[in-house]
Amino acid sequence: METILIMCAGVAVGATVFPAGLKKWNGRLQLLLTGLLIFTMGVSLGSRPGFLEELGSLGLDSLVFALAPALLSVAVVWPLSRRFLEKREEE
Amino acid sequence: MALLALTCLGAGIACGLWLFSGETARFFTGNSAGMLYLLMFLVGISVGLGKDVFRKVGSYRLRVLLLPAAITGASVAAGFLCAFLTGRPLAESVCITSGMGWYSLAGILLTGLAGPEAGAVAFLANLLREMLSFLVIPWIAAHLNHYTAIAPAGATSEDTTLAVLIRCTGEEIVVLAVVNGVLCSAAVPFLIRFLYALLG
Repeated sequence: METILIMCAGVAVGATVFPAGLKKWNGRLQLLLTGLLIFTMGVSLGSRPGFLEELGSLGLDSLVFALAPALLSVAVVWPLSRRFLEKREEE
Repeated sequence: MALLALTCLGAGIACGLWLFSGETARFFTGNSAGMLYLLMFLVGISVGLGKDVFRKVGSYRLRVLLLPAAITGASVAAGFLCAFLTGRPLAESVCITSGMGWYSLAGILLTGLAGPEAGAVAFLANLLREMLSFLVIPWIAAHLNHYTAIAPAGATSEDTTLAVLIRCTGEEIVVLAVVNGVLCSAAVPFLIRFLYALLG
């Protein structure tokens, strides 16, 4: 919920006082923070006690449980979005 | 973008495993919320700079619900497939995939419902889904379409994966991603408890 509120504050700033000329720098800073955030997730995972053992024993199952819903979501959303959302863009 | 994500992730795991002391690792993980907040503020600025984004999103009307409904349905259905593939109990399997990337909540709920091993799988699986999303969103956005790029992210499309989405799609998709993430996140705790009671 906090993230949504903070994002709304950003929307208000972007729509009112933020100089459009700084859009490129805003994008660059986003990229830097995205990289840092993914790095931090990696640190969090790597420093988890027993991570390698856990990955060895439960890793394959976890991978199946990660891949199946992600792939099935893509497989369902793609045709639906082509039928109901992309068509709307052409109208 | 995918290469950047993979490099950062690999470097982070390596540092967490071998390089960083517990204190350094805690410094990074302890400040991750602050990084996310700053990132969300900047993403909000990008959305705010696109003047007619909300008018465009408003024109979707009820179709705005299509993505969260499809992603939730597909994630639950994937649980049935996973039960078959892994041999784990159906209730546990469906509840793990219903986490839709919200690893902290899925891990805690599954630990309480089905024990620590199920909780660990739920945690790892949903974390892997989020990480996988970082890697595949750029490809999906380039080769399928921008709407489909939201699909692997599931409940995380309102926060962490939103940054990748805005790099690879646009402001309009970002607003749809937030709507999707909010609705999927709201559904996760109810889905897990309901499906475990129903199938357990």
